Parts: sequence; structure tokens; C-alpha cells
Amino acid sequence: MSARLPRGVEALLRRLLPGDLAEPIAGDLLEEYLATRARRGARRARVWVWWQAIRLAATMRWERAAHGRGVPPIAEELKSATSVWDGLKQDVVFSVRLLRRQPGFTAVALLALALGIGGSTAIFGIVDAALWRRLPYARADRIMSLAEQRPREGRWFGPIAPADFFDWRRDNRSFSAVAAYMSQPLSRPTAYNLTGIGDPERVRALEASPSFLGVLGVSPVVGRDFRPEEETVGRHRVVLLADSLWRRRFGADPAIVGRTISFDGAAYEVIGLLPARFWWPTAPEVIVPLALSDNDRALRDAHFLDAIGRLRDGVSEQQAREDLRVIGVRLAAAFPATNANHAPNFRTLRDALVGDVRPALLILLGAVAFVMLIACANVATLLLARAAGRQRELSVRRAVGATRGRLVQQMLTESVVIALAGGAAGLLLAAWSLAAFRAIAPSQFAGLPGLAGIGLDGRAFAAAVALSMITGLTFGVVPALAATDQRLGASLTEEARGGTGSARARRLRSMLIVAELALSLVLLAGAALLIVSFRNLMSVSPGFQPMRIVTAEVRLPSSRYADHTRTVAFFDALFERLRAAPGVERVDATTSLPFAGADSRLNFQIERRTVDSPVPVRVHPRLVSSGYFSTMGIPIVRGRGFTDRDEAASTEVVVINQAAVRRYWPGEDPIGQRISIGAPGRWREIVGIVGDTRHEGLDADADPAAYVPQHQRFTDLGAGFERAMTLVVRTDADAAAMTAAIRGAVANLDAQLPIGMVRAMTDLIDESVAPRRLNFLLVSSFAAVALVLTAAGLYGVMAYVVAQRTREIGVRMALGATHAQVLALMFRQAGALTAIGIGLGVGGALVLTRSMTSLLFGVTAGDPLVFAAVSALLALVAAAAIAVPSSRAARIDPLAALREA
Amino acid sequence: MAAPDVSTLGEFEHVVLLAILRLGDAAYAVAIRDEILERTARDVSRGSIYITLDRLETKGCLRSRLADPTPERGGRAKRYYTLRPRGVEALKESRRALVALWRGLESVLA
Repeated sequence: MSARLPRGVEALLRRLLPGDLAEPIAGDLLEEYLATRARRGARRARVWVWWQAIRLAATMRWERAAHGRGVPPIAEELKSATSVWDGLKQDVVFSVRLLRRQPGFTAVALLALALGIGGSTAIFGIVDAALWRRLPYARADRIMSLAEQRPREGRWFGPIAPADFFDWRRDNRSFSAVAAYMSQPLSRPTAYNLTGIGDPERVRALEASPSFLGVLGVSPVVGRDFRPEEETVGRHRVVLLADSLWRRRFGADPAIVGRTISFDGAAYEVIGLLPARFWWPTAPEVIVPLALSDNDRALRDAHFLDAIGRLRDGVSEQQAREDLRVIGVRLAAAFPATNANHAPNFRTLRDALVGDVRPALLILLGAVAFVMLIACANVATLLLARAAGRQRELSVRRAVGATRGRLVQQMLTESVVIALAGGAAGLLLAAWSLAAFRAIAPSQFAGLPGLAGIGLDGRAFAAAVALSMITGLTFGVVPALAATDQRLGASLTEEARGGTGSARARRLRSMLIVAELALSLVLLAGAALLIVSFRNLMSVSPGFQPMRIVTAEVRLPSSRYADHTRTVAFFDALFERLRAAPGVERVDATTSLPFAGADSRLNFQIERRTVDSPVPVRVHPRLVSSGYFSTMGIPIVRGRGFTDRDEAASTEVVVINQAAVRRYWPGEDPIGQRISIGAPGRWREIVGIVGDTRHEGLDADADPAAYVPQHQRFTDLGAGFERAMTLVVRTDADAAAMTAAIRGAVANLDAQLPIGMVRAMTDLIDESVAPRRLNFLLVSSFAAVALVLTAAGLYGVMAYVVAQRTREIGVRMALGATHAQVLALMFRQAGALTAIGIGLGVGGALVLTRSMTSLLFGVTAGDPLVFAAVSALLALVAAAAIAVPSSRAARIDPLAALREA
Repeated sequence: MAAPDVSTLGEFEHVVLLAILRLGDAAYAVAIRDEILERTARDVSRGSIYITLDRLETKGCLRSRLADPTPERGGRAKRYYTLRPRGVEALKESRRALVALWRGLESVLA
């Protein structure tokens, strides 16, 4: 056996131990290593010797650093373990005193750090809540969100057709429970009319399969859960109340279970109370069983259900996927007309909840990390300049016996003290911005798990403290090492004689400035791309005139409006009354208001067309009242719109949009042809073509749509479809004024009927772009902070250089250099740094902005114009930051400069 | 450079100096550690032994010499320690102080 230490240990000791001790210690260790190896075997000995070497190296480093052999002050020498702590205490007190004596430096450093740490903590809080924290359900990672995928349409997680859902539920072997619920947009949750106690009110409702709570692993705190048979029509009049509604409307009545309350005019029995902490993205106030009629249960071409399922114990995601795939293949073979190319799909519930906002959140996290880095670089340049100014103090301390390690420790303590103070200020900033975020967070964010309760909790606090410590050490270590470096020290004395520091010191400062510039450019480019995207988006026409339109949803209860004629009569009467209201120009209604969430799609057939289409032949059916197109300002491109003569008894007609013409009648005139939507054989004649309207958002292309007049019965989406209409009122009055008018008119016709929120159409569009607006506002403000910090850093460095070179400049001017030449000299130096920084930044941004592609609209990630503009902006700001100290240099009085030096 | 004040020895310094005295010519770090372990049942870390030796040498209590390299240590020298007069003085002083303080307390702590 060789008498040698393992190779790495050898190197470690040689590198880390003080020179005079390395050899004997290595010898001692080898001796013991060999003994250990003989006693306990090679492997154990190797672990042992590594552990010993690391411990030894660490202790000896610390010892020599803190109380090196140099000339240790006696007081320190005699304290052993306690001296470390005492030294630290002393350092902290000293640092605080120093910081108070330099308020300018302290203020700038604190501000930079507060912005960096505060921003990072706030964004961390949001991202943590949304992406990383556990969902509030038992074993939440086993809960899957089921969906139907239609790859040919590019939809991977679409809503499910009822008949498909029931087949999956019956045939799968992988889920212990599966539950469907009505698909609903977060911004417009389903609402029920609660009547019979006080004012009628619309409460947010969730219609879900009886096993819904079971899948989530939640049980009612009082009463019972749904029973399986309660999803059949007729036995479904039972309801679970949320804690909030129970307290607000029922005064926390302890005897609530068993009481009967009235929803949509029908009596429901309260069977239980949900836990106060129950959470679901749409924040339902009541849960009722999803009871579909026999007709609806058999639908395979109308997709309106979402579903969740809990994986059986021991079943892997892969097995479940295979299980569902087989079911999907069987259904596609059995029902080719509706199910060809459809298949079940699923992902974890969390992925389903945060899917859309994940990239935006990660971009924000990246942006704020950049701000943090810039703040660090900024404070590091400040510290570096400050350390140069403290050279005398450091030399004196060294002369009286402080070791380099001791000085580094002192300087690191200072930077950590600054960072912790900055962190404290940052926490305040973070608390404040989180409160602001909660207030302005758009509804799309509201569905994120944990966002409602977001705030500064233990985790965010820990993140802020850790960030402060790490940044304190990161930005402190370079200046501390540089300032105490003997070689550097010599050059710094030289600096006092008129140079600008050694090459190393200069390089350090330059590197930090270049890094700041580059990071700023990346942020600016990201912000600019988002701003341009937003501007592009806002200039997209929605396809109708949203100004002066006020909307309100009215939903008639099936109990009193089961009949088509009654429903139509109610709306006709309502239009009549509203048209008489002051300020109202026109009143109409639709089942599918643009920007109010997704709408259903149905297959349709074109009469006498037998050729198989390569794409599914589908349209969005929309029921509208006769004047809808004029009221909304949707242009009629060909043919006619609807009139009052399109009655129940007259020829059944339909109006399609241009998207439908482009897709299904390319190069053809569809007017006069007949189509059948949903159930086959009910032909409707195409009488007109209207312009496309954006429906799901300004960034979503218009899909084929078919408008059906309200008076002509349309039942293929279930009978509830025509009873839930949204009024569109063209008026000069605002939403607030219209609320009273609409409520009055509705109450006049049916006192039991509440109305939904009255909202201006423009507000709905604004809301649809709110996440983008928030995104670009946040990233832009980060970029602005970055710009200010970078400018401050550049200014500081140049001011320092000018101060250091005063004598040299004086000499140059005495020898005949002009102001312009001095100015040019200064600009050459700083200009080169700026150019390098911008160059590197452009390179980095080209790589990094690619990850933003999904957030961009109408602009590519590498848009040359955007990059040129932000480069120019940064160059301009840099020039301004350089100009002030440089012009000071050019104004130097040569005589005074020489005398001073 | 002011002469280090050695009138008080730390407890561990005291222990290390005594171990070196006991070992005589054979006092090097491994042996010192073993001696302490054997006599006091204290398993002290290697680092603290080296640190204390280093400090005591700086204070002028110890003198060290490098022995000739030996093959069983991979050709590395051992550093042997012996007490200097100042170290002996410090030990005596510490003992005096301790004995004086202990006097009359034996019955209390026995």
C-alpha cells in the first residue's frame, strides 16, 4: 500500500494551509490516515481523511485570518472561541458608525439594495404562491385535471363532451374518483339567483359531479357531501354552502343544514357547509350537483365540461395515460363523426391552474433577478471607490497589526450590514408592493393558488434575509479583497500621486460597469418588446364598436321560463322597456358576448356537400336578438342581418362571419346555401355575412361563427343556452347610471330576478389585456430602475476617475490641451465601456428574449428596431451620466490642480 | 512588538503545555493529541491542537523544530515541540493561581 494521502486531500492541504504548517500537518494526517486504513479499511479511511482535511483547512484558514501570526494584538490573542463573536460585534458597531458618517454613500447603496431586494422578495412571494407552494388539498400532486385534446385544432387541453366524460368515468381503471364541473371562465363564473331572503342576489356557483369534493380530499365541516344519485335531474336540488356565504347571508345560522333556500326560483335543500379554508379558483359560494338532462348526457359534439380526477394509489401517471388512451381510441372508433382525432388528456391540477401565467411569472422572476444583480454591481462599484478613499485608514490599521483577513472580515461585515439594512427597507417595499399587487392583480391572476392570501410570510422573509446576506457577501468580497491586496495597495498609493489605480483596480471597476450596462440593456430590451406588443395589441380592432356599450347578464330560471316562447317574450318586453329609458339608443342581447369568456362549438353540416373536410367542420353558435349587429357596430359584409320578421314560424335563417366563409366556402358564395348546426337535418338558410369579431381576446384570431336569431328556437346546446343572455345597450350613460335603469326594468317584469354586473364593454376589453398590461408595467418599472442604477453607477465611476486624474488633466491643460480635448479624453474612456456593455447586452438579450416569445404580439423577439432603440436610449443615458463629471474635468483650473497635487 | 502577556494561560493551553512536558522528546501534534485523549478522555479536534500550538509558539511559550523526513510519513518532516522558559513560567504561574484558589474548596467539591 502506498504511503500517500489521497490526491485531492494533498492538493487541498497544500493550497489552504499556511506554508509553514502544511508539511508537518500533512505528515501527521498521513500517519493517522495509514493507521485508520489498517484498522477500518480503505473506503472509510478515505472518507475520514477528507473530512479531517476539510475541517483542518477551514479552521486553520479562519485562525490565521482572524488572529494570524503577524503581530496579533494581545487582547484578541487571549480570547479564543469568544473572540470571533466579539470581533464581529465590534465590526458591526464600527460599520454602523461609518455608514452614519457617510450619508450620501449610505443613501445610494440602501436605495439600490432596497429596490433590488424588495422587488425580488415581492416577486418571489408571487411566484412562490403560484408555482411552488402546495395546493390546499390532501396529496395534491395526485389530483389531475382531465381534458379532451383535439390536436388537429391545436387544442391540447380543451373542455370535454358530456358523453365522453361519462364513458371515461365508467371505463377507466386509474382514477379512484373523477368529477366533472361546468367549464367557466374565471372572469365570468357561473352565478345563481339567490332569492327568498332579502334582496335577490347572484352568487357564484359551481356545478360539479357529486364526487368533486372527494377528488379534492375535502369534506364538509357540517352536514354531508353529495350522494352519487344526486346528479340525476329531479334529485339534484341540494346545495353545499361556502363559509363566506353562510356568514354573510345566513348570519352563521348553526341550524342551516336542512333549511331550504331558493336558487333560480327552485327550492334547494342545504346539506352541508364547506370548510372556511376551502379554496377553488372561481371562489364558488355554493356548490350544486351537476345534473345533466338525458339529452345533454348523450352529447358528444358539445364540449362544455372540465374534470378533475384523483389517481388511484400505486397507479403512475404513465399507466393512467395509457389507460385513458385506450378508452379514447375505442370511442374514436365507435363514434367517428364526433370523436375522430379526439382523445383524453390530463395534467396535474397545478399545471392546469397556472399553465398560462407560468411564462409571464418566470419572466418577471428573471427580470427582478437582473435588477438585483445590477444593484449588487452598483453597490460594489460604490464600495470599490470608497475603499480607495479609505486606503490611508486601512494602511494605518495594518501598520498597528491588523492582518489582511481581519480587514477583509471588517469590510465584509460592513457590506453585510449595508445589505441587511437594505433588506429591511426592501421588506417594507415588498410588503407595500404585494399589497398593491393584490389590489390591481387582474382576474386571470386571481385563479392562481395562494394568491388571495399572498403577503410577507415566513418564506418571503427568509428569502429576503438570505438574499441580503448573499448579496452583502457577493458585492462585498471583491472590493474587500481588492482594497486589502498589498499589490493593489501599493498602486493605490500611486493613485494618490495622480494615476487612476493599477490595471487590476481599473479592470475591476470597468467590468462591474460593463456588467451593469449589459444587464440593463437586456431588461430594457425585454421591457421594450412587451411595450411594443401591448401597443400592437391595443391597436387591433375587436371587429365592433366597443365605445358607449354597456353590458349586463340576465339569466332566467328554468323553473319559470322552461318554455321558449316565455323566454323570448320576456326579453322582448325587457328591450321595449329599456329602449324607453333616458339616454338609451339601442338595446339588444346575445348568448355569447365577446371578451366575456370562451363559447361553445358545434359540428355543422353543409347541405349537399359530401366531400370530407380535412379540418373539423365546426362553428360557434351564437343566439342574438334582431338588432344585435347594428347595436354592436358589427359590419354586414354581404346579404342582410336579422329583422323582426325572422320569427319562430318563418324560414329558419343564419348569418355567418367572414372566418367561416374563409374556412368553409373559400372562393364560393355561401348566401342562399343551407347548413345544419348540431343535430342533423334542421336546415337554416345563410342570409348574410358579417365581419369577424375577436372573441376570446385581442390576440386570438376570430373563429368561424354562426349567428341564429333569438326568436328561432335553438336547442343543440341545451335549453339553458337561450335563457342566459347578455344585454348590450348602446347609450351615453355610464355603467353606474345604467345599473339602476336595467335593474328597474328587470324588476318591473320579474321582481325575483337579479341582474349580473353591469359593465362597460371597454372595461371588458381592458380586463382581457390586463395581465399583459401588468406584465409590461412591471418589467418596464424594473427596466427603469435598472437604467437609473446603471446611470448612477456610471456617474459615480466617472466622478471618481475625474477626481483621481485632476492633476494629470491640469498638466495636460497647462501644456495646451483645450476643453474639448479633455472632454474627448474622458468620453473616449467611458464611451468604450458603454459600447462594450451595450454590445454584450444586445448579445445576451438576443438569447434571453427568445424565452419571451409566448408573451409577444406582432413583434419578434429579435426585432432590430427595438434593439436599436433601446441601445440608443442606454447610450444616451450613459452619455448624460458621463457628461456631468467630464465637464467638471474640462473646467479644471490647471494652476489650482497643480498646486493641490 | 510588545512582549505577549502570558501571565494567564487558557485552560486548553494549560493542558497542551502539560501534555508536551509529559511527552518529553516525542511531542508532536499526533502524540500530543493522543496523550490528552489518554489522560483526560477529551477527544479534541486536530485543528484546535494546531491552533493552540501555533499560538503558544507565537507567545514564546514553545519552540519547535522540524525533524528529518521519514519514509513512513511520505517523506514529510515531523514538527516537534519543547517548552521554552517562558512556557514553564506560565505553567508555574497558572498552577500557583489555581492552587491558591482551590485551597479550602476541596471539601466543597469532593
